[in-house]
Amino acid sequence: MSDPSPQADHAPRPTSSGPGRVLIAVYAIFALSATARAAVQIATKFHEAPVAYLLSAFAGVVYIVATIGLAGSGPGRRRLAWIAVGIELVGVLAVGTLTALDTADFPSDTVWSLYGRGYGFVPLVLPLIGLWWLRHTRGR
Amino acid sequence: MIGALVIVVYVATGLLALYGLVRTAQGRHPGRDIRIGVGVVEALLVVQAAIAAYRVLAGGVTLPEQGTFLIYLVVSICVLPIGMQFAVTEPTTRWGGAVVTVAAIGTGVAVWRLAELWAAANV
Repeated sequence: MSDPSPQADHAPRPTSSGPGRVLIAVYAIFALSATARAAVQIATKFHEAPVAYLLSAFAGVVYIVATIGLAGSGPGRRRLAWIAVGIELVGVLAVGTLTALDTADFPSDTVWSLYGRGYGFVPLVLPLIGLWWLRHTRGR
Repeated sequence: MIGALVIVVYVATGLLALYGLVRTAQGRHPGRDIRIGVGVVEALLVVQAAIAAYRVLAGGVTLPEQGTFLIYLVVSICVLPIGMQFAVTEPTTRWGGAVVTVAAIGTGVAVWRLAELWAAANV
């Protein structure tokens, strides 16, 4: 098979192309739902569980930044996506573990609680796919 | 909300999600057919949102989490058109169908949450 562009194998491919668009769509939906939910929680019942609601808001911001990073092109956006998706993975593992160990002390309504069980564990799988996709498209 | 309409919306979003997957599996870019599908589902969602909004805002139905409900209502009608737009803006890809699938599933989940919040009010 002839390769029409010899550089294609070496240059990073845009993360927003092909299956990447499906990934971005999932990120966008999480960005929207996590942020909207946190906004309502903070506006209406912040005093009930301030830590959990701030965490929800933080998760929402992480999803927004990841969406922006993945949907863009160029090294800056790619770095942004690496950082956001990395934070997302650490976040879901840390919050998931904390909530699994001690559910009594930690209100369970954040995206990342119990490794995202309330969201079909998508929050746990999503950063893994995101990191894989960033690696897959990075070129050499 | 109307129970029967919610069921119809579940089925419609489910079928649309499946159809998007089929198009991606076939390797075909979403075209007129998927636009029509999205249009039909969107029409159902708008009718549902209009009825629900009327009953909450003017029809005397009080929900425990009215703000959340109204936000989900807006989300339920916004996700599909945006997803559709995103699906067709890259013209050479087979993945547009799967983008519509994601949007349809997201919409279905939003409607499911709406139904839950509605049921919490026991109306």
